[in-house]
Amino acid sequence: MDNVIAARALMGVSLGFHIIYATIGIGLPLMLMLAEGLSLRTGDERYHRMARRWIRPAGLLFAIGAVSGTILSFELGFLWPRFMEQSGPLIGLPFWLEGYAFFLEAIFLGLYAYGGRRLSRRTLFLCTIPLTVAAAASAVFVISANAWMNTPAGFRLEGGILADIDPLAAMANQAWAHQAVHGTLAAYAATGFAMAGIYALALLRGRAPDYGKKALVLALAVAGLSLPLMLISGDRSAAFLARHEKAKLAAAEAHFETRAGAPLIIGGWPDPETRKVRFGIEIPGLLSLFAFRDPDAVVTGLDGFPPDEVPDPRLVHTFFDLMVASFFFMAAVAAWFWWRRWREGEVPTSRRLLWSVVLAAPFGMIALESGWLVTEFGRQPWIVHGVMRVESGVTPNAGMGAVFLTFITVYAVLTVGLLQMLLRQPASEQEGDSGEARHDQP
Amino acid sequence: MISLSDLGAAVLLLGMIMYAAFGGADFGGGIWTAFASGPRKKEQRESLFHAIGPVWETNHVWLIFVVVVLFMVFPKGFAYLFIALLAPLVIALVGINFRGAAFAFRHFGRQTGREVPPIARTFSVASLLTPFALGMTVTAAASERIRIVGGEVVSAPWAWITPFTLVGGLVGMAVCALLAPSYMTVRTEGALQDDFRKRGMAAGWTLGVLTLLEIPVAFLSAPHFAAKLFLPPSLACVTLAVAGGLTTQALLLKRKYLPAQIAAAGTVTLVLLGFGATMYPDLILGELSIDAAAAPRETLLVFFAVLPFGAALLAPSLFFLYWTFRGPPNPKTPAG
Ligand code: HDD
Ligand code: HEM
Ligand code: HEM
Repeated sequence: MDNVIAARALMGVSLGFHIIYATIGIGLPLMLMLAEGLSLRTGDERYHRMARRWIRPAGLLFAIGAVSGTILSFELGFLWPRFMEQSGPLIGLPFWLEGYAFFLEAIFLGLYAYGGRRLSRRTLFLCTIPLTVAAAASAVFVISANAWMNTPAGFRLEGGILADIDPLAAMANQAWAHQAVHGTLAAYAATGFAMAGIYALALLRGRAPDYGKKALVLALAVAGLSLPLMLISGDRSAAFLARHEKAKLAAAEAHFETRAGAPLIIGGWPDPETRKVRFGIEIPGLLSLFAFRDPDAVVTGLDGFPPDEVPDPRLVHTFFDLMVASFFFMAAVAAWFWWRRWREGEVPTSRRLLWSVVLAAPFGMIALESGWLVTEFGRQPWIVHGVMRVESGVTPNAGMGAVFLTFITVYAVLTVGLLQMLLRQPASEQEGDSGEARHDQP
Repeated sequence: MISLSDLGAAVLLLGMIMYAAFGGADFGGGIWTAFASGPRKKEQRESLFHAIGPVWETNHVWLIFVVVVLFMVFPKGFAYLFIALLAPLVIALVGINFRGAAFAFRHFGRQTGREVPPIARTFSVASLLTPFALGMTVTAAASERIRIVGGEVVSAPWAWITPFTLVGGLVGMAVCALLAPSYMTVRTEGALQDDFRKRGMAAGWTLGVLTLLEIPVAFLSAPHFAAKLFLPPSLACVTLAVAGGLTTQALLLKRKYLPAQIAAAGTVTLVLLGFGATMYPDLILGELSIDAAAAPRETLLVFFAVLPFGAALLAPSLFFLYWTFRGPPNPKTPAG
């Protein structure tokens, strides 16, 4: 396997793997905090039991998050040493801050998860607050590093070397704000939907615990509040790309030719040879409207860049549409649920509604992964936009193909083990997530 | 006058010491899980397992700390080391992953009564492999086999395997094997406590023999390092480390567990300090100095500006964590 391809593939797979667990590591603390808070407030023990039930699988998932994150920080070194040699002094700062967030997260997670017999209920709740804040902070920090790769700042280029380094300016780069907001909210939306799906399925099978409906409502409340914010922030992100990352936007929208009154193309397969999109639906003027708030504005197309400096629209456009389509699917289901909840005045349990929640459940994670693929594929061929190409950042070591295969094996083994653990029925039938069903079936 | 980059190197060494003292004990727990023996085999494993549970993720973050300090403060050193030491780093990383996952699987399996998949049995194997690979990685920086010419690493991919680094790997394992039982003596009672006491003493002797063995080996395989070992700062650390090791043995012998625990951690600290003092002023011995590896001044300034704030958040939280989980749980508090 070609060295650069192997390095890129390994980085992409590792990040795609890590982000699943990182997302849960951001979303679940919020849910824990809400559940423990509600339990203290209302005196309803079910919220507390719900939270304590989550913490078991969560411990497992957090551990995978921590070790897979460790792989990533090593990979920065053994895949991209040239990139880090130059960028480390600039993007080191957010990672340095993130390190403290990791510490706090691990500490309060340990306290919350293992402290059941040692801490009061109030203290347990209080531990979930720094846990939630630290988790969100770690995402916001690491996203700053990524945003810097998209809109590098805080240095001067001197013969290919970064000079006059200003780490604070680098951290506060232009793309950080929108990426951090959109990226962190995404974790809440994705976790909310995933959990809603689990409880909807349990309700459908009649195996939900006594707190099943409450958990469903809580999960869909978190997801339902995040989704409209996702739309707003996603729109802001696209408008940002139109000004600062034009090639990425052009690829995401499969927009080949620079023109005024650019149409929005939904779906379809962009063909770089013919510069046409096959089977897409075109809505005239809409892309210009989204990008510049003016249906007649000029939007730069892929033809505005040298051919070896554009990302591949087949990838970027497809994943962009997948993200947006997932959004509309989830938004529709969430809206239906809350409308019925409001109309009926109680938690709706019609089978059709619950099945749609189950179907929508994976799409939070699908949207999140696709969004990241848009960001990352859309930056190609640059590792640092306009400054360093991916080939210049890669390790001189040969044999990255073997390293790639090694880690693919590691991920496969971890995934198989994890699935076995989570899906296998407990030895004693009464244990596990449905264990409390005996008490009072809803 | 101490330069900012020297201070950065001190923080790096501090991170390594913390990882060895805390994370090392977790790996040691894995090692003694593998070598559990005698009539209380099962109890030994159980108690190790329970002690590691709440703290391993926190202890693990020290490793991230070291990596981040390396690439922020010493980006050149990071790049060269990660190019030259690809293989041991990959091995360590695979070990870290399997160990972390296996541990979490076992814990979850126990809580929910689920059967643990076979990978969980890798816990002990990975606990042996990882400290060995990390020990080799660290000593490789002193092995004089990493060659850098004109900004390129030119040494062969396996050049880092030398008698010196092999013993270094064993030292890494012995450090872990000493710390875990020393810490366990404080948390256990009766016969079990005595089991850990004996294991701590055995590991202590092993560590002593290995570190002393490393000196003649260094003369053969890393002569510059060996020569620098007899400069006053290194010599002082080595002497103190020997004294610390003997004190640990004496305290364990007399069953003074709390001071023994501190002496064990102190010994490990001194071994690493000695290593650092001998390396100084280089990051990669003979090839890359701390100054040449360091990031521009602006980066070092923000690095140190963040440090006190971070420490102010971290220190009380860490204290609360270890304090909460210090002894056996309070039976009066209901299970959560
Ligand atoms: C739950 C997940 C989710 C959902 C429902 C959406 N997104 Fe998103 N999107 C992400 C999750 C995500 C992300 C977390 O994966 C990304 C990757 C980088 C980032 O900052 O957020 C992202 C990136 C991203 C980018 C690229 C930003 C950049 O590279 O700087 C754009 C233009 C959008 N999104 C636009 C949208 C729009 C218009 C949406 C709705 C209609 C939308 N996203 C829904
Ligand atoms: C977690 C969500 C993320 C996913 C799913 C993701 C995905 C990917 C993918 C697929 C690639 C390969 C792109 C290609 O070569 O075509 C890549 C490259 C890379 N990513 Fe990300 N990424 C994520 C977040 C981040 C973040 C937060 C950083 C911050 C440092 C980052 C740093 C890098 C680097 C250094 C590369 C290699 C250079 C390159 O190929 O452009 N990624 N990522
Ligand atoms: C957008 C992308 C990312 C997000 C949102 C994210 C977020 C998180 C979160 C929330 C955790 C805690 C995991 C848990 O306990 O479940 C975590 C762990 C970790 N992440 Fe990421 N991460 C991202 C990308 C990266 C990248 C690019 C790196 C390094 C290059 C990285 C390095 C780490 C490390 C080292 C850990 C382990 C910390 C520990 O030991 O507890 N992450 N990440």
